[in-house]
Amino acid sequence: MTLDDDLAAWAAAVRLPETDADAIFQRIIASPAAPVLTGRAAQARAPQLKASWWRGYNAGFAARMVASTAPARLAA
Amino acid sequence: MDREAEFRRLYEANRVAVHAYFAGRVGDRQRAADLMQEVFLRAWQHLDKVAALPDDGQRGWLFTVARNLSVDAARHQRTVDDAQRALEREPAVREAGATAPASTAVLAAERATVVAAAIATLPEQQRVTLALAAAGDLNSAEIGAALGVPAGTVRYRLSQARRTLAEALGDYDEPQEEQP
Repeated sequence: MTLDDDLAAWAAAVRLPETDADAIFQRIIASPAAPVLTGRAAQARAPQLKASWWRGYNAGFAARMVASTAPARLAA
Repeated sequence: MDREAEFRRLYEANRVAVHAYFAGRVGDRQRAADLMQEVFLRAWQHLDKVAALPDDGQRGWLFTVARNLSVDAARHQRTVDDAQRALEREPAVREAGATAPASTAVLAAERATVVAAAIATLPEQQRVTLALAAAGDLNSAEIGAALGVPAGTVRYRLSQARRTLAEALGDYDEPQEEQP
């Protein structure tokens, strides 16, 4: 027995049987063609508010907080 | 050519090589099959882009995905732990389907175990290169293109791997030849 014989025997043991390869092929083509996003990836693609909306909201919130303390300051 | 036929052509042209690559990386036929499935699933999902590439480019795309999968930290940790056990388990598959007389089958199984163990001890680059050559049926230039290294480097790795294996297996060969 030569090294090539040993390698050929090892390769034969390692190779995927045709039936397994066919089963994998069938599973793949049965899956959606476009990637399905899940978890955080899906959340990242979900509709979101623009950053400018948050800036406006924060500015408005701060203004309301300051204004809401004006009566107390006047009373003091 | 419709989408499924295009994918089948891509799959049949490359699945043996991609599976051999993962077999060399992880040592386990079934885990290699799982990883191969993931590579081709991505190819299926991006088939429009992959199909537009030339054949070499398609194989390059597949192996780029394969390499990225292989270096995934969590997966790599799992696969390294299993590599030794898996390579030792492979010969049992062949033994189950063997039709030779029991003594011959036992000797063949023992031999396969020794060969698999010797291959498992090779450095990873040599093991992957050897797997692509022996189980992937690729030549040096094709292996080089798949791994992103020159063909000369592939030939050197193969030579080193064969030398190491010959040294490791040489002692095992001699008693077998002396038996009547």
